[in-house]
Amino acid sequence: MRILVTRPQIPFAWGGTEVMTDRLVAELRVRGHEAELVTVPFKWYPGARVLTQAFLWRMLDLDEVDGAPVDIVVATKFPSYLVRHPEKRVWLVHQFRQAYELDRTDLGQFDESSEDRALRRKLHALDRVALGEATQLFAISQNVADRLERTTGLHAEFLPPPPQELEYRCEGYGDFVLSVNRLDRAKRIDLLLEAAALDSSLEVVIAGDGPDRRRLEELARARGLDGRARFAGRVSDAELADLYGRCLAVYYAPVDEDYGMVPFEAFLSEKPVLTTTDAGGPLEIVFDHRTGLVVSPDAAELARAASWLREHREEAATFGRAGKAIADEVTWERAIERLLA
Amino acid sequence: MRLAYFSPMPPERTGVADYSALLLPALREHLDVTLVRRGSKRAPRGTDAALYHVGNNPDAHAWIVDAMRRRPGVVVLHDFVVHHLVAGMTIGRRDGHGYLDTMEREHGVVGRLLAHGVLDKRIAPLWESRPEDFPLAWFVLEHATGLIVHSRAVHQLVRAAGYEGPVWVVPHPAWPVPAVEPEHVASGPVLGCFGVVNASKRIPELLRAFADVREANPEAVLLLVGPTSPGFDLDRRLQRLGLDNEGLVREGWVDEGRLWELMAGVDVSVNLRHPTMGETSGVAIRSLSLGKPLVVSDVGWFSELPDDAALKVPVDSHEVETLTAALELLVERDDVRAQMGAAAARLAQQQHDLGRVAELYVAALEEAAGGAAVRDAVLREVSRAAADVGISPEDAEAGEIARRLAEVELGR
Repeated sequence: MRILVTRPQIPFAWGGTEVMTDRLVAELRVRGHEAELVTVPFKWYPGARVLTQAFLWRMLDLDEVDGAPVDIVVATKFPSYLVRHPEKRVWLVHQFRQAYELDRTDLGQFDESSEDRALRRKLHALDRVALGEATQLFAISQNVADRLERTTGLHAEFLPPPPQELEYRCEGYGDFVLSVNRLDRAKRIDLLLEAAALDSSLEVVIAGDGPDRRRLEELARARGLDGRARFAGRVSDAELADLYGRCLAVYYAPVDEDYGMVPFEAFLSEKPVLTTTDAGGPLEIVFDHRTGLVVSPDAAELARAASWLREHREEAATFGRAGKAIADEVTWERAIERLLA
Repeated sequence: MRLAYFSPMPPERTGVADYSALLLPALREHLDVTLVRRGSKRAPRGTDAALYHVGNNPDAHAWIVDAMRRRPGVVVLHDFVVHHLVAGMTIGRRDGHGYLDTMEREHGVVGRLLAHGVLDKRIAPLWESRPEDFPLAWFVLEHATGLIVHSRAVHQLVRAAGYEGPVWVVPHPAWPVPAVEPEHVASGPVLGCFGVVNASKRIPELLRAFADVREANPEAVLLLVGPTSPGFDLDRRLQRLGLDNEGLVREGWVDEGRLWELMAGVDVSVNLRHPTMGETSGVAIRSLSLGKPLVVSDVGWFSELPDDAALKVPVDSHEVETLTAALELLVERDDVRAQMGAAAARLAQQQHDLGRVAELYVAALEEAAGGAAVRDAVLREVSRAAADVGISPEDAEAGEIARRLAEVELGR
């Protein structure tokens, strides 16, 4: 089949959606399909630009390319699912979250003016139309599916994407807690730094880059974490696998996250995951004292949890192995079978 | 948003007053709402949007339409047919010319001639004899910056009438079921019919069908609750059908508490209607909340009820036979009643949930307040981009862009 995978492009940014969609295209090709990625740059501010930029997708004609029909379009993240196609299947990464659960929070985008309130409602209408016309609707996590149902009444099948290919291994349970994430406020890396400030024996390694990096580095300096908090930046696949392999546990606690590949990657390295009760999607696989530790979003609690794992490495290993059993079930074979069914 | 809220309120005995009593507290969880005092001609100072509840009853709604004429706003259109309201606000105020003009504007010269006939008492008042043929909805629509309606049927009617403003379909909210002791008026299966007893509630058809049902199911009972309309000879009809001594339990007007007790005690709720004024039935909504299977006429809003919760009877030459079959099925099959009742309760909890309805109201009001500015901003940017590459409004490409914008509700 000729299949197009769509995703928005945020120039100079790289994250889970990019990893997932690149891999999807590669896996489709391995299975004999002609697959291509379609991206359009996306800027969501100021004002109504979020709508006009989203609308660009609507003008694309992907029914056929160069005289040959396109059989299926797999759309992923807002606004790429605005695309038109008679066989549009949406594997929803997330909606435009500022218009939904992030509205009226620090991470929101819209103020109380009548224009901004109406703009937010237009985004809801856009979703109802664009997602409502999909012939099949999947969501990368139950959290994303639940949000979709709550906000649009549309039902999506939970279909988790497998994590990226790495040389996953476990080389023991070292002394540091690893964070793997894009550095922006919603990922809540500052909570980990605050925990390290409370426990002078806690070491953290922060892999990833992003707009919040400078603030986080300043926070680490202000808390006197020099030497105990290492900002590794964007690391290579080999370095990442090495960090996963050697760490004690992996910290992953964004606010109401959609899904997150990181817990799966941690599990494939047999590492427990440290998360918080309000993390959303990760809680679908991180179970307290079974595959990791789940604490309230509080630095002291987090510090205590990290300390407990350091003192109970056998349990940490048991949690990690239990997580691996879950992660092993999530395969591209199954995902593609469902997507193309 | 600071909202001026115009509506009849209890103790006025109207469905819209009950509706607002239910909705208002839920709306206040989201918005700063000022309830406008009955008779006020203006929205209170400091409010930046107005919401007008309009129905067909001039006693309850004339003052609201007066206020709306001064300051247009979003209208909750409870009835599409507002001929009675128009009559009250024109003829009722000794403004016969206003009535003539309204009829002519909406129905041309024929409308004006008929209106003369009404004023001269040569023909029966049209709001009583043929309101559905002369709905006079524009009397209200022309002042509405947006419309909230309760059904897709009314949405279609206002579009067919040429209204081009925004329209939001917001379901009628469901009442929470009060803690009442169900009143079982009989030991056999009880069919309940609640509301004014008259021809437009299809009471003659219901009585005939029920008499047929009783032949095979003598234990079945019909509970008829509500005042009888003047001129509707119920007793004679009952006598003729042999229902005057047994099989029928009759109560007149009842208060809200008694209504719930009686409704909770029936096995089936019958809610027939023809003609419809485009209204939603508060009684039917209460029945859904109570998890009662419904039998309704296949008209207007009632047609939109899902098949698993309501049996729909077309208003045609086979109406009585179809109704008889529907009633027999529900009298004789406990399992069907249970399944339909469960579906009814689910519908009330999901579609008619009060919190959901309030959220839909807020969405509509927010769109009404800022939607035009957003649309303008989008169209300005898109048209500039199109013009930059040489696409003019007359070009086919501009038509394509307009179509795509309309598809995702970004066009006008």
